[in-house]
Amino acid sequence: MNPTVEPITIALASIPNSGKTTLFNRLTGSSQSTGNWPGVSVEQKSGLFPLGEYSVTLIDLPGAYALSPVTEEEQVVRDYFLNSPPDIILNVLDAGNLQRGLGLTLQMAASALPMVVAVNMMDETRRRGITLDLRAMALHLGVPVIELSAKTGEGLPDLKDALYEVIKHPEKTRAPHISCPPLLEKAFFQITEAIGKSTIDTRLDHTFLAMRMLEAESQSQWTSNEKVAALTRKWQRRLKQSLHTSFPVVCAGCRFNAARGLAMEVLGGQPVIEDKLSRRLDHIFLHRFFGLPIFIMLMFLLFQGVYGLGAPLQEVLSVAFDRAGSWLSSQTMVLSLPAWLQSFLFDGIWQGVAVVTSFLPIIALFFFFMSVIEDSGYMARVAFLMDRLMHRLGLDGKAFISILLGYGCNVPAVMGTRILTSNYSRILTMLLIPFTLCTARLQIFVFLTAIFFTSTIAPWIILALYSCSFVAVILTGFMLKLFRIGGAPEPFIMEIPPYRFPTPRSVGLRSWYEMKDFLSRAAPLIIAGVLLVWLLSHMPTNVPPASAATWAGQLGQILAPVFQPLGIGWQETVALIFGFIAKEIVVGSLAVIYGGTDLVGLMSNHITPMQSLSFMIFCLLYTPCVATIAAIWTESRSLRITLISLVSGLAIAWLTSFIFYQSGLLFGFH
Amino acid sequence: MTRTQHIPVSALLAHSECIIHSLGSDDKTVQRLAQMGILPGTHLQIIRVAPLGGTIEVNDGQGQNFALRQQEVAAMSCEPVAMPLISELVAEGQTYMIRDIRGGKTFQLRMAAAGLQEGSLIQIRKAGVKPMQAHFVDTNKQISLGEGEAKKIIVEVINHESNS
Repeated sequence: MNPTVEPITIALASIPNSGKTTLFNRLTGSSQSTGNWPGVSVEQKSGLFPLGEYSVTLIDLPGAYALSPVTEEEQVVRDYFLNSPPDIILNVLDAGNLQRGLGLTLQMAASALPMVVAVNMMDETRRRGITLDLRAMALHLGVPVIELSAKTGEGLPDLKDALYEVIKHPEKTRAPHISCPPLLEKAFFQITEAIGKSTIDTRLDHTFLAMRMLEAESQSQWTSNEKVAALTRKWQRRLKQSLHTSFPVVCAGCRFNAARGLAMEVLGGQPVIEDKLSRRLDHIFLHRFFGLPIFIMLMFLLFQGVYGLGAPLQEVLSVAFDRAGSWLSSQTMVLSLPAWLQSFLFDGIWQGVAVVTSFLPIIALFFFFMSVIEDSGYMARVAFLMDRLMHRLGLDGKAFISILLGYGCNVPAVMGTRILTSNYSRILTMLLIPFTLCTARLQIFVFLTAIFFTSTIAPWIILALYSCSFVAVILTGFMLKLFRIGGAPEPFIMEIPPYRFPTPRSVGLRSWYEMKDFLSRAAPLIIAGVLLVWLLSHMPTNVPPASAATWAGQLGQILAPVFQPLGIGWQETVALIFGFIAKEIVVGSLAVIYGGTDLVGLMSNHITPMQSLSFMIFCLLYTPCVATIAAIWTESRSLRITLISLVSGLAIAWLTSFIFYQSGLLFGFH
Repeated sequence: MTRTQHIPVSALLAHSECIIHSLGSDDKTVQRLAQMGILPGTHLQIIRVAPLGGTIEVNDGQGQNFALRQQEVAAMSCEPVAMPLISELVAEGQTYMIRDIRGGKTFQLRMAAAGLQEGSLIQIRKAGVKPMQAHFVDTNKQISLGEGEAKKIIVEVINHESNS
């Protein structure tokens, strides 16, 4: 291939849990970019790396078991192969899980695209005393097979050499022959022939194309050739009548027969031994009686690890920001600026940056601990332990951790939903997290209960609010399941990997990427949100900020009829608008709005305990903060889901407060 | 003729082993399993049931473990190869070989004293009787096992020519 033209595209493809992402990070380093696969909310990652005189674009395809799609991710992979076949396929196999991985390898080899197979986790296999005959594999597949360990970096130069050679001398992979029932063979043959005679121009092997078309519901996506499409449809009908099971399942049977044979040959008759350490550890971690207590203890440690360590760091950052801000604002150059501009700079932009920064410590810690849990293999155990419970809400067990961590802070919890396996689960969890009582809301509740209730009752009010949050999560879960908002649920079939020791490198990289990602994607939205609220509370410029005459004050008064049935006055309504920035500033904004020095006295004169409860319920259930919305937007990549979250939060908050306050009035409280 | 009895995978308990006979109705679960190479003929070992129930951990004989929901594999039928001696699962007249006796040392010694050890062949001639009556195939002696005792005994199904 000519180095001066387009960069070479290499597609990285494998079944889930083969260490594909680790290899991707190894090869591309920091030159990664994330985007979106067209039309779906599946993340697309690509990166660049030089290879000799060539420049390579490496595309990290989502994990897929086959090119016969069952999941959304697999559909993405299939469509990618058919619509824009890469120059080279880089297939990753887990040395300890050869047969399953080879199913996909054989299917991709049938495409006839040049391919290199990387057998990963060789270090583990060696430790278990297993030797693999990779020459036999290379011989059978007709492609280079390289052994490596993406975790340690061993074997990486060999892989690069092999890729370089393939770029230099690209050779069509000869499709391995997989024997199928005669009827299928006949179908393949006829469709292949029709494709050959047609004008379809493709680098893909025609039989490969025939197979994909037979699996697809509609052929129009792949070919405009009516003759081929008609023939395919004819065969689909015929196969449907004569096969007992569906066509892709029959094909999988044939493919895995070949894969089993190949795996056996590569293993040379060695028995596949399970990891003894994993078996022993699972005896403890998944124990019938001790499994759950250990899990609860670990979750406690996780929560403490993220927020116990994160909160002091946040505190330090916020003090530093305040000091730097007041130092800057006292500079003569700044003081010479018009007052509104000063306010814009410090109460607007500076404040926005401070909000963004305050999330960094917990995001870093959150993903640090999450990577440890995930890389060590315990996450799969969590899913196993919690599945029964979470399944009732239509979620998988891993969602438990995300929702639990929402009780600290919603933002990293929403970002963490990307560890969930199915898109369905991700969307549902993301919509539930905003109902968890995060520590910022807790601050409001502690402050208000102290004003309106005696110290003996106050803790019970807080407890009641926590219960209200649990109930909201569970009821909303049922409702979302009922209305099918995240699409159709996916079956729960989860691989349980052996326990592994997480490497500092991969854990560190993960935290670093997530922080970078947060800064580049969510941060602009957060700052925009803060500026919007600044605008509302500081315009027009000739009135005191946040007073009744500002836009926010006017908005509060316009909205008064809406909030009046909830027992929430316009002052609190304005505070709720401020609460959109961050719940931490609700109390502070109340002080500004009431404008006096004795906030406690003013509030207790102005608001009844009933009204304060209604206000707290509203605070608990409505939109958590602009950062959470930004996180939902960047994670779901869907305006619809973001709007659903926003609107459902407001609607549920309004309804609950309404019912609470009105029934309170009926019973004679006020 | 070989005796085969097909039961749903979801009915199996920990320490059972089976060979998948049919994947059942062609839904998403089946398609997914097929694409993962879990197909008729695959040997499955049930490792454990989750503490809260509803979910099982299985091994596919390739050194890989995964979790399945019992509800989602209820339509998948299999031929049991080994299982704990539980009255709901044992077939009348079927010969079983003792594969493993779990539980404490005392229990194992007591069973050994009664002649029950790894490799012994037994038959359950009448199902549903409590305590369970196990007949030794060789000596034709009989041993009665309480429910708690029986489920600690893992037996392997021995296929034999049927006389009838």
